[in-house]
Amino acid sequence: MRLFNMPPQIVRLCLVTIGIVGSYLVARAVLTPPSFREYGFFRGDALKDIMALPPQYGGKVSCDECHSDQFTKLNKGGHKRLSCEVCHGPGYAHTQSPDAGMHKPTFTVCSKCHEANPSRPKTHKQIVLKEHYAGGKCMECHVPHSPAEVP
Amino acid sequence: MDVTNVMAHVASSVDVTNILVEVAPRFEGYVYPNEASPEPLWGILIVIYPYITGLVAGAFIMASLVRVFRVQALEPVYRLSLLTALSFMLCATMPLLLHLGHPERCYEIMMTPHLTSPMAIFGFVYAWYLMAVLLLELWFDYRQDFVEWSQTEPGFRGMLYRALMLGVTDESEAAVKLDMKLGWIISIIGIPSAFLLHGYVGFIFGSIKANPWWGNVLMPIIFILSAMVSGIALCVLNYMVLTWVRRKKIDMRCLDMMAMFLFYALVIDAAVEGLDWIHRIYSAEEDFSVIRYVATEKLFYTLNIGQALMGTVLPLLMLGLNQVVRKRLSDMARKRMYFASALMIVLGVFAMRWNVVIGGQLFSKSLRGFMSYKMQFIGMEGWLLGLVVLSIPFIILTVMIKLFLSERLPTAGHTPHPTPPSN
Ligand code: HEC
Ligand code: HEC
Ligand code: HEC
Ligand code: HEC
Repeated sequence: MRLFNMPPQIVRLCLVTIGIVGSYLVARAVLTPPSFREYGFFRGDALKDIMALPPQYGGKVSCDECHSDQFTKLNKGGHKRLSCEVCHGPGYAHTQSPDAGMHKPTFTVCSKCHEANPSRPKTHKQIVLKEHYAGGKCMECHVPHSPAEVP
Repeated sequence: MDVTNVMAHVASSVDVTNILVEVAPRFEGYVYPNEASPEPLWGILIVIYPYITGLVAGAFIMASLVRVFRVQALEPVYRLSLLTALSFMLCATMPLLLHLGHPERCYEIMMTPHLTSPMAIFGFVYAWYLMAVLLLELWFDYRQDFVEWSQTEPGFRGMLYRALMLGVTDESEAAVKLDMKLGWIISIIGIPSAFLLHGYVGFIFGSIKANPWWGNVLMPIIFILSAMVSGIALCVLNYMVLTWVRRKKIDMRCLDMMAMFLFYALVIDAAVEGLDWIHRIYSAEEDFSVIRYVATEKLFYTLNIGQALMGTVLPLLMLGLNQVVRKRLSDMARKRMYFASALMIVLGVFAMRWNVVIGGQLFSKSLRGFMSYKMQFIGMEGWLLGLVVLSIPFIILTVMIKLFLSERLPTAGHTPHPTPPSN
């Protein structure tokens, strides 16, 4: 086989190269998901897939509809930056139907954020639980939705 | 569908709340993401991956000594080292695939590669090195033999050789000369490519600036140098074992030469790795106390005993002794020392890969506290699978040797190092 008077090795290798690169391009055309790059460097349909998942969290604002008392209270006190579900756990199902119930946390939730730990920023208020109040009944002296307040 | 809406939804579903409720119960205080796993996520399989690619690059550079630098004495191991490189190359991605939770999705990084993804680019570096360098160099070297063998060998072998000819039957002197010339060009391209292949593996670690154990510009260089050392050592072992299995006499000139290059490569490697440590110790940056603890406690055995003493100091002494008083040592003594040093180096470089991969995961950017890594025997990240993965390249190599280095098959005997292309 003498194409353009090229040595046969070169001709064959060119064919093999074209074959390999060609099959890569074909594979790419076939295997790249159609919605790829629809919004950016990812599969556009992934967003729809994620949206189709049942949501877990309702978000802080969604609680305002039925618990505006707690909502306004929380937003005034020292815990104003916290979301309700940090302490109460995921509550999307509850916002859709209140019968689904909601977790009512105990003092253990406080230690998650307030137990003294050297890796926490100094500006964050920390206590050594055992020294502060060994009984653990934080709610006797702090209102969780407005922690500086005494009940 | 409204995009911003979708995005907002996605963002809220990965709210910080999630991290607190789902992850925090297992932790105290603030953690970095890689601290949120009970043990290092990269285990023995990820240790084997840079080890194997290093052996590929090293064995190839060993072969290039014959072609590019025309070291005549090494001719008996030219094809052996190329086949070694090839059989390890074919297995280089295997530990990665086994490590993936969804190996069947592996093609996706090649279909939609992104420049910010080091692994995607590794796919192309790998493909380039395998197809454009290793296979081509082997093909040019073997083409004439394939033509001959396909005529004499019956059955499966004959068919295989015929297929590998790719239909080029030209055996004229001009054609063979062209083969040699092209092969020579390929191996010149191959040296930077081998550096690229393994330097890239080093880069994957070295570019992680959040990790003081990895984020280091010397990393690619250290990887390449240790790769050369391990590759040459592996060729020494393969050559000695092969001649022993075949009850042949070892070509001492060749073996001495290999040991010499092994020694030089090891000297440079040890010097650069030493430099790296001197630099770390002298500059003693804020992460140094952690690094020192990792080096002296956590990785004491693999780093000080495995990598430094067994993998570097002892072989340096033995090979160095051979350089100085080679004439006074008997063949047998030299063979034993070469074999022992090569074996220790191969194990020592494995320890080096272990230290890099595992060591880097024992602490995190917070520089607080350490993780522990305990290997299991069974399981995806266990001893057993690691051994299996490491033995597969040797099985492939055995088959290749039977097919392409068979004693029955006469080789054309052309010198694999032509005079420099004159026209
Ligand atoms: C559709 C209105 C509605 C929304 C929205 C709603 N809730 Fe409720 N929630 C209720 C009602 C009604 C009750 C009382 C049910 C009961 O007492 O059995 C309740 C009770 C609770 C309780 C007390 C449960 C108990 O065992 O005493 C908590 C805590 C709670 N909600 C938290 C939340 C949080 C946090 C959100 C926001 C994610 C939220 N709710 C959103 C209607 C709502
Ligand atoms: C710091 C953690 C924390 C946050 C943030 C928080 N709660 Fe509570 N919440 C609690 C605790 C603890 C209780 C239980 C109080 C008790 O047992 O006396 C509680 C009780 C409740 C109750 C039951 C009725 C009551 O007042 O005792 C409702 C309703 C409720 N929270 C709603 C909300 C809503 C709505 C938000 C967001 C606006 C919110 N919470 C934010 C900790 C929290
Ligand atoms: C999700 C983390 C989190 C949880 C859970 C939490 N807190 Fe707080 N708390 C904070 C933050 C953030 C502040 C704001 C000031 C700071 O950074 O120290 C704060 C402030 C406070 C303060 C000081 C208030 C002020 O006005 O100075 C008290 C008291 C307090 N929390 C008590 C509690 C108690 C009691 C609980 C349990 C019901 C609790 N916290 C649960 C995060 C948390
Ligand atoms: C007996 C009443 C009492 C109980 C029970 C109690 N506290 Fe307090 N706590 C106080 C008082 C009073 C202060 C304010 C004094 C101060 O600033 O040191 C305070 C302050 C704090 C602060 C702010 C500390 C700071 O540095 O400003 C935190 C956080 C806190 N408490 C958390 C808790 C938690 C969590 C519990 C449950 C384990 C708890 N407290 C139980 C009385 C109590």
